[in-house]
Amino acid sequence: MQTTTEIPAAECSIVLVGNPNVGKSLLFRNLTRRYVTVSNYPGTTVELVRARASFNGVEQEVVDTPGLNDLSPRSDEARVTRGLLADNPMATVVQVADAKNLRRALLLTLQLVELQRPMVLVLNMYDELEARGGSVDVDRLSEILGVPVVATVAPRNEGTGDLVEALARARIPDRQILQIGPPTQVETVAGPQPQLGGAQDRLSKVNEIISETYAIDQPKNASFGVRLGFWAMHPVKGLAFLAAILLTVFWFVGLFGAGTMVDALEIAGFEQRLSPLAIRATDAVLPFPHQHVVQNVPYQLSLPVSPAHQLDIAEMDREVIRPPYTIPPDVRLTVSQKLLRLAHDFLVGPFGLITMALSYAFAIVLPIVTVFFFVFSILEDSGYFARMSIMLNRAFRVMGLNGKAVLPMILGLGCVTMATMTTRILQTRKERIVTTILLALAVPCSAQLGVLLALMAALSPGGALVWLVLMLGILLAVGWLSARVFPGETSEFILEIPPMRRPQIGNVLAKTGTRLDWYLREVIPVFVVGTAVLFLMDGLNLLTRISTWAEPLVSGWLGLPAEMSNAFLVGFMRRDFGAVYVLDAVSGPNPLLTPHQILVAMVTITLFMPCFATLLIIAREHGKRVALGMVAFIFPFALFVGGLLNHVGLWLQSI
Amino acid sequence: MCGFEFERTDTLCAHGCPLGSLCHLVRCPACEYEFPETPPTVSFVKRLLRRRLPTVVGLPPGVRTAAELKPGQRATVLCLGSTVTDRHRTLTVYGLGPDAEITLVQQQPACVIRIGETELALDTDIARDILVQPLDAAREPVETEPTPAASGV
Repeated sequence: MQTTTEIPAAECSIVLVGNPNVGKSLLFRNLTRRYVTVSNYPGTTVELVRARASFNGVEQEVVDTPGLNDLSPRSDEARVTRGLLADNPMATVVQVADAKNLRRALLLTLQLVELQRPMVLVLNMYDELEARGGSVDVDRLSEILGVPVVATVAPRNEGTGDLVEALARARIPDRQILQIGPPTQVETVAGPQPQLGGAQDRLSKVNEIISETYAIDQPKNASFGVRLGFWAMHPVKGLAFLAAILLTVFWFVGLFGAGTMVDALEIAGFEQRLSPLAIRATDAVLPFPHQHVVQNVPYQLSLPVSPAHQLDIAEMDREVIRPPYTIPPDVRLTVSQKLLRLAHDFLVGPFGLITMALSYAFAIVLPIVTVFFFVFSILEDSGYFARMSIMLNRAFRVMGLNGKAVLPMILGLGCVTMATMTTRILQTRKERIVTTILLALAVPCSAQLGVLLALMAALSPGGALVWLVLMLGILLAVGWLSARVFPGETSEFILEIPPMRRPQIGNVLAKTGTRLDWYLREVIPVFVVGTAVLFLMDGLNLLTRISTWAEPLVSGWLGLPAEMSNAFLVGFMRRDFGAVYVLDAVSGPNPLLTPHQILVAMVTITLFMPCFATLLIIAREHGKRVALGMVAFIFPFALFVGGLLNHVGLWLQSI
Repeated sequence: MCGFEFERTDTLCAHGCPLGSLCHLVRCPACEYEFPETPPTVSFVKRLLRRRLPTVVGLPPGVRTAAELKPGQRATVLCLGSTVTDRHRTLTVYGLGPDAEITLVQQQPACVIRIGETELALDTDIARDILVQPLDAAREPVETEPTPAASGV
């Protein structure tokens, strides 16, 4: 976390404070023009976000804080915010409130009043309040609290000007508001009136203020959004809704993303155009006598209808040169030519930077992840995740978690490393650790999911079903067991349900972009390093040695060809990287693996820890001991389950 | 056997019993029936399969738990029940406290309560602890007594 010591106290700063999911981050963007992830789910901002902006001719620093309901230092968010306010005694507090939820906002306001800081109260989402037939007497509220009150609609950037203007008028609120009973002008002879004590007193005071300033007239007919929100958590309709959502996500990510988009980028982009170009360019710069293989690479543009059916749109075959090459038998390479060959292989060889690392990163992983984050952002903004939490709360209870763990688990289908960081929204350490284990063990990330889906195409539907049932079974069983092994309590399920909203396309795109940016920064280096390590090991003949060394385990126990040990080796660099390796072994004219072996490899690699980055993040979030413990559990467990599946499968085939 | 629950120390064992520490029998002080002690493995398995028993408390007339409300029914909260202060604080910041007017949205799969414009999803266990007084009491079967006692719960 950045410190603010270099900023003179006089111009530091503006602190946005408010309940979760009231639009602080969106308002922050409007004020500073800097994008932070905005979502329709409580608790998305987990760190302080800072940016500088100029208001009324003075440059100031604006800080966005995590949403909090209560200023008492019980939660991490409240501690972070309190610490920030203590470090910046001159900072102006801008409390952002959900206008239609004034009661909750004022409960926090009364706590902020106690701090006696210059304050402005922002009633955000004012349009939603009006749509519900409500109104707030802004002037009266401002008079009662003694601070400027501004109404805004952050998604449409309405009222931001008023807010900037009100910043100049920020005032320290009236302490009288903290007194129990009606405010008095003169202090009584008996001394000052008793102050508000706990939450109960504050609630009754807030109810008093609300009765003076807030009016709502419930409309007779619920809007479509309200009805949709109601269906989405209905015991029966909600399940149908959940199934429909999951199917749509599967179609988009699994079929469209991992099929159409990957084909377009990998085959039509890399294999047919970029790789040959890179190979030719490298050959021109680094010449040594060799002949690349020329192959016909067919490409078919199609739109998926179901896992087995697709709508073919166009076809395009090209004769292109491929990375494998032969050196004429009568040629002996000189030392300089050998060096050139090494550099050539490093760039465009079978384990080359361009032909392997970049094509995997950009052509296989990127399209799937992009589609996933896009769909995820839409669901997040619509407010559906909170309803999903309600629907799945019972199932998560079995695993010692509660419905709130839905968000990290679903995000895990995008990127497990990112999801591990999101486990912070869970309340107890036990929940955070159990969720992290499940994420690292049984939730395939989208990069891997795409490869797994492609592998499934080589399997019968029955095989895919075995994989799915096995993964769900392991998820429940390991969750159930670890919930009992780990001491501590599961927190109670109390979740505010945000209204269903139509996702704003601009916000969805911006959010997808931010997540992708983060993902690419994290993923590309890992891919490059992973390929470089593979290249080195291949050059030093280590790959074959490890294959021999791991043979008893891989061929004996798992029943896979010895070459597959490479897949497990790189599988640790990135789980999806290993899966791509398996995919390579499956595709082509002479597949290396039988369907039974594919299933074993798929299960083992799914259960592996996702990637090195996840391990680092687990160590950062939960400490080295927990991370090591997870490694000690996950890898043997993955190999154990894979082997068990192999032997049970063989036994079933024999009878 | 008779359903009487007792502590290990209350068992009626004769002093100087020759079985001494080898005895694994427990005798109920109420019906004097002797039965073998639960072995530790069984109690471990029981713990593994633990289930929370519903607490049955006699409520004053007109008072019920939030878990007993019907969808769409409005009620005033009398008390939040239970002794978990953390829960009290959390619920209070959402505006759910004594005297709050609530509407029950649904009971399954999780209890959803509306307070003003806030919709809050709760575990059924939490809803079972919250005592409320239905607002449309006129349509309820006639209660014999008003319920001032409940407000102090």
